[in-house]
Amino acid sequence: MASAAATAAVSGVVLPHSLLSHRSSPPHIVALASSFRRLSLCASPRRTTHLVARADASAEAGEPEAEAEPVSASADAEAGEAEGAVAVAEAEEQPPPSKLKVKFGEIIGILNKQFIEEAEKVKTVPDLRPGDIIELRMQRPNKRRLSLFKGIIIAKHKAGVHTTIRVRRIIAGVGVEITFPVYSPRIKEITVIRHKKVRRAKLYYLKHKLPRFSTFK
Amino acid sequence: MGSHGNNLFGAVSSSVEAVTRPFHCDAISQQIRTFIQMRTNLKVVDNSGAKRVMCIQAKSGKYGAKLGDTIVGSVKEAQPRGKVKKGDVVYGVVVRAAMKKGRSDGSEVQFDDNAIVLVNNKGELIGTRVFGPVPHELRKKKHLKILALAEHIV
Repeated sequence: MASAAATAAVSGVVLPHSLLSHRSSPPHIVALASSFRRLSLCASPRRTTHLVARADASAEAGEPEAEAEPVSASADAEAGEAEGAVAVAEAEEQPPPSKLKVKFGEIIGILNKQFIEEAEKVKTVPDLRPGDIIELRMQRPNKRRLSLFKGIIIAKHKAGVHTTIRVRRIIAGVGVEITFPVYSPRIKEITVIRHKKVRRAKLYYLKHKLPRFSTFK
Repeated sequence: MGSHGNNLFGAVSSSVEAVTRPFHCDAISQQIRTFIQMRTNLKVVDNSGAKRVMCIQAKSGKYGAKLGDTIVGSVKEAQPRGKVKKGDVVYGVVVRAAMKKGRSDGSEVQFDDNAIVLVNNKGELIGTRVFGPVPHELRKKKHLKILALAEHIV
């Protein structure tokens, strides 16, 4: 079967356009859909020859056997088989596709998700919204006890792992607003005590209101 | 309001965020607070006798003083019987600033007003009590006496 796939691949390189235009049988279209995308990305004949040379090597390696089987099992023309072999070879030759095929602009998004996942393992961050009255416990350097911050969330700035919330409270007669990065390892616990109904996303108007609106026991 | 006071003196001590279409909030509530510079009015929060001080010079900082810095100021308003009187040139430590001060853990703190505590040129406090909250930043600047007298450390 490996040799059959190899020969099919060789004949496939002669007509690169037929490769792309041919459609495989419906049951296997899902399996090959992703392969098709990769194929179309490098559509030049030169590229496919490069791949086919590798397809011979990889077909002999025996790994694409599992993927080539459903393809070769179909009673289609040999072009269908060739596609399968070349596509599989392409999948083989490239290192895990999520590393290479990711667009440059997506890297930050992926890194952010990884950081957030790691932070979530240590502590769960509840759903925070402006208008929530929260109690936050934070670890300070060289201090054993956690310091406590209470207040109302007046703003939530979403920026992946550096999502920050701005918490306002009247302390000793003076209004204080502190911005906390929510996924910081220093913040040990955030609990929502109450919720105040607000009709805004950012409650900066509280600064100019009476102090009693920002006072929380 | 602090913002109106600044406009009176014509100082550019707070810049207004460029809001092309101010929808719900007016431009003043979107102000980005900046440094404490010449002609900034500051509240005095100790019992040295002064009530308001106008900054003459920020001792450190290219653009002005931030939280924890020392400034030179002129007393504009003072209580009748106090250790300082109107017109005195005094040094002060900024204990509350309306401008955000970043901390090493990624948090930022800002207060609702600008306030100072009067010190002499050696750094010793003139007053004996401090009112209101003070930030941690004073510990790094070695103003431990102020932290010890404070009502609340943020």
